[in-house]
Amino acid sequence: MPKLVLKFENAVLREVPVGAKEVSIGRSPDNGLVIDNPAISHYHARVFNEEGRLMLEDFGSLNGTFVNGQRVKMVTLKAGDSVAIGKHTIVVSDSRDLDGFASGNGGTRPAAPKINETVMLDTKERREFLQKVAAVGESSQVAPARLKVPTIVVRKGKTNQREYSLNDKLTVVGKSAMATVKLRGWFAPRVAVQINRRDDHSYYIGAADKVPTVNGVPIAHPTKLSSGDVIAVAGIELEFVYRD
Amino acid sequence: MAMEMDFGAQSDTGCVRENNEDSFRLAPEMNLFALSDGMGGLASGEVASRLAVDTILAHCREAEAKPALPLSGGRVDGVSTESNRLASAVRLANEAVHRAAQQNGNEQRMGATVVAVRFVDERMSLAHVGDSRAYRLRGSDLEQLTRDHSFVAEAMRHGHMTEQEAGSSALQSVLIRALGIDPEVEVDVTEELVMDGDTVLLCTDGLTRELSDAQIAAVLGESDDAQEAAERLIDLAKQAGGGDNITAIVLRRAAKPVGAFARIGRLGKWIKNSV
Repeated sequence: MPKLVLKFENAVLREVPVGAKEVSIGRSPDNGLVIDNPAISHYHARVFNEEGRLMLEDFGSLNGTFVNGQRVKMVTLKAGDSVAIGKHTIVVSDSRDLDGFASGNGGTRPAAPKINETVMLDTKERREFLQKVAAVGESSQVAPARLKVPTIVVRKGKTNQREYSLNDKLTVVGKSAMATVKLRGWFAPRVAVQINRRDDHSYYIGAADKVPTVNGVPIAHPTKLSSGDVIAVAGIELEFVYRD
Repeated sequence: MAMEMDFGAQSDTGCVRENNEDSFRLAPEMNLFALSDGMGGLASGEVASRLAVDTILAHCREAEAKPALPLSGGRVDGVSTESNRLASAVRLANEAVHRAAQQNGNEQRMGATVVAVRFVDERMSLAHVGDSRAYRLRGSDLEQLTRDHSFVAEAMRHGHMTEQEAGSSALQSVLIRALGIDPEVEVDVTEELVMDGDTVLLCTDGLTRELSDAQIAAVLGESDDAQEAAERLIDLAKQAGGGDNITAIVLRRAAKPVGAFARIGRLGKWIKNSV
C-alpha cells in the first residue's frame, strides 16, 4: 500500500498510508494529513485510489499544489513523486520498504522467520526496529497534549467535585466506591461510564451501565475524547478539556 | 471474597505442533488468572511458560500473606496496589525465565509471553508482555484490551501496514517484547472496569490466528458457561487449522452468583481434563 511521507526540509514529520479511504490534506484538524501552517488551506487537497491508480486533487487552494515542480489540479501519482504544498513536501512511497528491514539490514537478525515459529528481538534489535518504525514525528504529535492536564469539568448535575484531573489509567463515573467522579442521588447508576487512558496518553470513554453521548451522539464503541468534548450520561454533563 | 467469578480454561497442542508450550494457571481464591506461551528449542518453551505463570502466582500468594512484600521494579503511577503487585509478579517472571535461559546455556533462545489478570470488585488489573491477549465482551461489543508487542502490531500503529497486510505478513511471529530475553522487561499494566455480565477472554496467539473477532464474540456471547465457551473456542480454532498451541481462559462476572457446588464441580471437571 502506498503511503504519503510528510517532510519539512529534510525531517520526516509524519507518514500516512493511503488505503481504500482517501486522505485529505489541509490545515483543519479533521483532515487525514494535517499540516498546521498558514500557507496551507483548511482543505487543501486530497489523495485517493481510483481503479488502482493513486490520484491527487487540489481543492482550488490559494497557494496551490505542485508535483515535481508543476502546479496541478488533478494528477496521477507514482512512487517517488514529490508533492510541494507551502514549504512542506509530501513524498509518495511504497510501504513495502519495511519488509526489507527483516530480510536485509538488521545484520544480527536471523533469516526470515518461518511462519508460526516465534522470533524474539533482544534490546538492540528492538531499538533498531522501533527507531525505524517510529521515524521522527512521534514526539511532535503527542508532546503538546502531555504537558497539559486532562480534566473533567462538571457542567451539569450532582457530583462530589466540580472538576477532576484525570491521573489514573481507569476513571469511573458512578455511585460505586471505586468511582472517581462520584454521582449522588437515589437513582444514580453504580458505574455509569468509564474513561481509560491508553499508552499514547489518549483518553477513551466507554459505556458501562449507561451509554453516554459525546457531543450529543450516543457512542457505539469506546470513543477517543478530544478537548472540548461534552459527555452526557445519567443526568449529568461533563466537559473534557486539557488544562495548562 | 464477595465477588463470584465463573471461570473456565482449556489448552490444546493444536493440529500441527508436537508439544504444547502454553501454560495457564487459575487461582480463583485470589481472582487471579494467567497464561503464557513459551518459546525455545527442545523442551525449553514448556519450561519457560510454566515458570512464568508459576512465578506470578507465587509472588501474588506471598503478597496476600505479607502485604509489605517489596515490589520488583518501580511503582507505576495511576494504578492500584493490586495492579502494581501484578506488574511486579510479571517482572519476577521475566527474571525467572531469563535466569533459566542463562543456566540452560542453550544456543536456542528461551522466552515466553504472558497475560495475567486480577479482579477486585469491578476493577480488573491487567498485565501483559508479548502477543498473548485479553479481550472483554460487553453486550455485543468485543474489545481487545491489550496491544501486541509484535513487529506487525507496531508497524500497524505507525501506519506502515494495514490490517490485511499484517494478517498475511511473514513477520507475524516476530515479538519485540517477551519474558526471558533481557534481564529486565517493560510490562504493560493497566486497569479495566468489569461489570456483571461482562466476559473476559485471555488467549494465546494460537486462538487469534485462527478465529476472527466476530467468531470469538459469537462463542462468548452464546455460551452461559465459561468452561464450555473455552472448550468451544479451542474446538473452532482446531477446525480452522490449529497451526499453533491454543489456550483460552474465559472469565465472567456472573449476573447471578455461581453456587459453591457448581464451582467445585467445574474445578473437578477442569482437573480431570488437564491431567
